[in-house]
Amino acid sequence: MQVIFKIARHDQNSGSWYQTYTLEVEPGNTILDCLNQIKWEQDGSLAFRKNCRNTICGSCAMRINGRSALACKENVGNEVARLQDLMTKVASSEIEEPAQKAIPEITIAPMGNMPVIRDLVVDMASFWNNLEAVDPYVSTSARKVPEREFLQSPSERSQLDQTGNCILCGACYSECNAREVNPDFVGPHALAKAYRILADSRDAETETRLEKYNEGTKGVWGCTRCFYCNSVCPMDVAPMDQIGKIKGEILERKDAQASRSIRHRKVLVDLVKKGGWVDERKFAVLVLGNYFRDIKGLLELGPVGLRTLLRRKLPFDFEPSQGADQVRSLIESVREKAEDKEHK
Amino acid sequence: MTLKYAYFPGCVAQGACRELYQSTAALTKALGIELVELKKASCCGSGTFKEESRLLEDTVNARNIALAEQLNLPLLTHCSTCQGVIGHVDERLKEAQQNNPAYIEEINGLLQKEGCSPYHGNTTVKHLLWALVGDFGLEELQKRVVLKLSNLKCAAFYGCYLLRAQKSIPFDDPYQPESMENVFRALGATPVYYRGRTQCCGWPLSSYATTESFQMAGKQIQDAIASGADCLVTPCPLCHLNLDSRQPEVEKVIEQKLGLPVLHLPQLVALALGVEPKELGLDRHIVSTRPILEKLGW
Repeated sequence: MQVIFKIARHDQNSGSWYQTYTLEVEPGNTILDCLNQIKWEQDGSLAFRKNCRNTICGSCAMRINGRSALACKENVGNEVARLQDLMTKVASSEIEEPAQKAIPEITIAPMGNMPVIRDLVVDMASFWNNLEAVDPYVSTSARKVPEREFLQSPSERSQLDQTGNCILCGACYSECNAREVNPDFVGPHALAKAYRILADSRDAETETRLEKYNEGTKGVWGCTRCFYCNSVCPMDVAPMDQIGKIKGEILERKDAQASRSIRHRKVLVDLVKKGGWVDERKFAVLVLGNYFRDIKGLLELGPVGLRTLLRRKLPFDFEPSQGADQVRSLIESVREKAEDKEHK
Repeated sequence: MTLKYAYFPGCVAQGACRELYQSTAALTKALGIELVELKKASCCGSGTFKEESRLLEDTVNARNIALAEQLNLPLLTHCSTCQGVIGHVDERLKEAQQNNPAYIEEINGLLQKEGCSPYHGNTTVKHLLWALVGDFGLEELQKRVVLKLSNLKCAAFYGCYLLRAQKSIPFDDPYQPESMENVFRALGATPVYYRGRTQCCGWPLSSYATTESFQMAGKQIQDAIASGADCLVTPCPLCHLNLDSRQPEVEKVIEQKLGLPVLHLPQLVALALGVEPKELGLDRHIVSTRPILEKLGW
């Protein structure tokens, strides 16, 4: 079958441009096979990273048809089917027929959130530095066992299965919405690794690590829960879920006074316990004003509060859910159960 | 046959975005869709319950879903976040029924102890957008249009939870969705494609990392304006809070005037069906919706 590859090119002298290549390929060919074909047969100047060809090394992550993925994992047949499916979705409304392209066109671009060095090759320095920043090594206590190896039971090891699958390809980091606006945020790959270390039965630095990952918006509270990392990860590491688990460990140890991000979570559950629904009049005041203790926080609310009042947007009343009592005791039962499990 | 749903209103539509509650009521009335409001339902947790524990998110939402099951109706949301959370819980519990029945027993044990009806896994959870596209149908919707939105360039703002929280979603590719744009076309409006339409509005950070949150919102709004949008249209009231209610603060952070109106999905559809703007709470937005109404001849 014939396909067109539309590739985002870049070099320091010529700037950025799109270049198209027409190829004769099989549906089972991977995107990486196609890039190799271009490089070997049509244009030796095209630059991209590659190595294992087997979804192991994580070298060939790039944006394929609008999302970060591994070039060696995705194939032409699936990409073309996806594009055609998109077209039928628009066309099936029978409202406006889009121009059908005779030859399918696959778009390839470099990963995001990292500067492009050349073509599809990005500078991953910040990615590696941020990984290093979470201290991604099992602590030394494991190495202080001189007589024999450090034993880990199969069930303890199984805690590391999901996060251990990370191949550090950068797909999550490339799409991370929080990282786009916050240069301090270490990113989903680093925090998934952080959880991998936290969950390791041999590590003895749990409390120090949690303090570190709790800091400002560098660590877990920097995540905006956009789900991109979970969605694009080629290894199902689900970084956002791992970030959530670290938050859970922190929430267990801290009270609402600890920080605004923690208060946000605690107040939400408290208000649901009270009214079934969140009473939004109280939510902002309690989170930002810290139960009327933080005057500066309360003042921050001034402009938005006034605006919403003037527009009659801020509600004057609140109607609790008719199931509020049931929900309250349900939440308490779940919490008791969770505590029981902890003790066991 | 009349379409009928167990309606899950959510917190924001009953709080800081009551115009959404109002416009969903007006739209469904105009289309002859019957809503049975779940008066005993509770907050889905907006992703926060899960940060405390997965069992908390699953149990509270199993209760919500069971309320719809008792009525033998699909559960209808009109918030991307409620949809993503409850829809994903439903997916996860249906999987657990197959491969981890002990977990379902644990949840149903907790529910029954509190006198709640147990989770059976025999209904579906769907967003109003999906109900319009899948159940009502766009051709049918097009027939009901009395005020064609021909002059209007609409930029969709989907909300992360609607696209990427569930393992699979009907109709849409999570990276290149079309269902909002198809609704726009059905109403005679022109869809505007821009990168921000599938990105995050920044709401989850807005209470404690306002600068980052507003930069995120600002980036998406700027992107929509640069692509020629007259307005944003969102199926998520939490996105609406960051994009509309906080737009004046967003402008300060990015040091640029924006003034882009943000409509809730049912407001836009109802306008095309001839419902009066006042009935849709369009006068209660922070960014004036006047320019949109003028374009439509109101």
